[in-house]
Amino acid sequence: MTHGLGERFFRHEFGRLVAMLARRVGMRHLALVEDAVQHALLVSVESWPRSGVPDSPSAWLFRVAHNHVVGELRQRSRRTRLVEEHGLAHPAVAAAAPTATLAGDVRDDLLKMLFACCDESIPLESQLAIALKTLCGFDVREIAERLFTTEVNIYKRLGRARSRLRALPFEPGDLSTEQLRARLPAVQSILYVLFTEGYLSSDADQAIRRNLCDEATRLAHLLAEHPIVATPESCALVALMHLHASRLTARQDGSGGLLLLEEQDRSAWDQAEIHTGLAWLARSANGEVFSRYHAEAGIAAEHCLAPSFAETRWEHIVECYTLLERLAPSALHTLNRAVAVAEWQGPEAGLAIVRGLEPPSWLAGSYMWMAVLADLHGRCGHRDRALRYRTLALGLAPSVAVRDALTRRLQVDARQR
Amino acid sequence: MPNYLCLQRRLSGGAPGPGKPSPAQMQAMYAQFNAWRETFKTNLTDLGGRLGSGRVVTGQPAPDGPLVEVKELVGGYMILTAATLEEAIEVARQCPGLVHPGSGVEVIEIHSPA
Repeated sequence: MTHGLGERFFRHEFGRLVAMLARRVGMRHLALVEDAVQHALLVSVESWPRSGVPDSPSAWLFRVAHNHVVGELRQRSRRTRLVEEHGLAHPAVAAAAPTATLAGDVRDDLLKMLFACCDESIPLESQLAIALKTLCGFDVREIAERLFTTEVNIYKRLGRARSRLRALPFEPGDLSTEQLRARLPAVQSILYVLFTEGYLSSDADQAIRRNLCDEATRLAHLLAEHPIVATPESCALVALMHLHASRLTARQDGSGGLLLLEEQDRSAWDQAEIHTGLAWLARSANGEVFSRYHAEAGIAAEHCLAPSFAETRWEHIVECYTLLERLAPSALHTLNRAVAVAEWQGPEAGLAIVRGLEPPSWLAGSYMWMAVLADLHGRCGHRDRALRYRTLALGLAPSVAVRDALTRRLQVDARQR
Repeated sequence: MPNYLCLQRRLSGGAPGPGKPSPAQMQAMYAQFNAWRETFKTNLTDLGGRLGSGRVVTGQPAPDGPLVEVKELVGGYMILTAATLEEAIEVARQCPGLVHPGSGVEVIEIHSPA
């Protein structure tokens, strides 16, 4: 029960307010801005249950946080005597007057904050941490929990990100249309990573994993609905996320174990997510561009549309993987194509593709590589090789959930399809 | 039914609290407070508020003592209506965030002229 406020109201207000205020007073004051927003939210938690929620909660919060920032900046100015010496008001304070907060402006602020967080001078893992902190409103403990690392590590990552952000040669607000477009691929790939962190993690707590997927999707919508960066790639990224999200619940059994695609109850797939995903996929098919996100969304859509595992249109999936390999060459994509080809044209055809592949060491030493080989050899009747690869695959499985799924899938003798 | 004045007391020696709540935790606090308010709406006569700094006014110079800076010790107040002191105590005890290692609540009956 949140009395008219959305279920993630406080977290999302945090992101919104940080973006708006940082835009007004400058990224160098980001820490101060975060404190001020925290303060404003805390005041609202204490006073709204007594006084009632104001007519415009967001404007109320902005005012309180803004006053806090301005008060703090004035005090700092006094301390350093800058105001007196130069006879100037603090430039940031002067520019920070609370102007109309149009929805469009807010979206713009959030978007530019996202672009700043994804600046290439910031290491990737710090980009993820700072985006989760400033845009999604998670605190250090919550981020550590979601990225499977320690709080100390997250403090370090955030520290690195903040020092880089302070040193940025530009303010996010000053990013031109061209600059935004030039940086777009980097931002898309961060959101893709964020989504994948949630989707592929083997953590049993589905709520936590879902959180990351939802946040990545929310930020991707920010791209796909913004006039400057709503490119076909952005739309395809949103489509991809919704289509995958439709299967999030069905991917797990009652006790948190992973269910293979062929084991999943297709009626448990979220039809609303599928429809949203397909609508965005249609929007992404606008123009000449065909990106890796298009290919991946296309594959996800084929799975979502197939009435059963057996009735999947494998030839379409193979085609998408072929395109994906061309757009983003990776042995992993080839391996996936081999699996799809095996379903389409038989295990020998799949095995032929794998045989022609020189796997890089990260793949050759992974459970995925071993598992595919075990499966294809088993289905080709090469019993000894199948057993050998099966043992290797089970030994390399990163989690109990994955090992259990592999054990079921790689029953060498029992498997007859 | 009698009214009770509730004063939130900062407890010396208590843990300073779990630190700053995250926005997600604030969401939970907000929901808990509203649920509590809903449960005890007939008891909650005045939800009061936080108390700032204060001064004791007397004929003599202000005495040295905790009353000089009220905010140091009393965080906030509210007024409950309950049949008995015990009932008032229970309502106050269940108020989210009021009773924890760093904070307690003093429940005092307000006598009204019979």
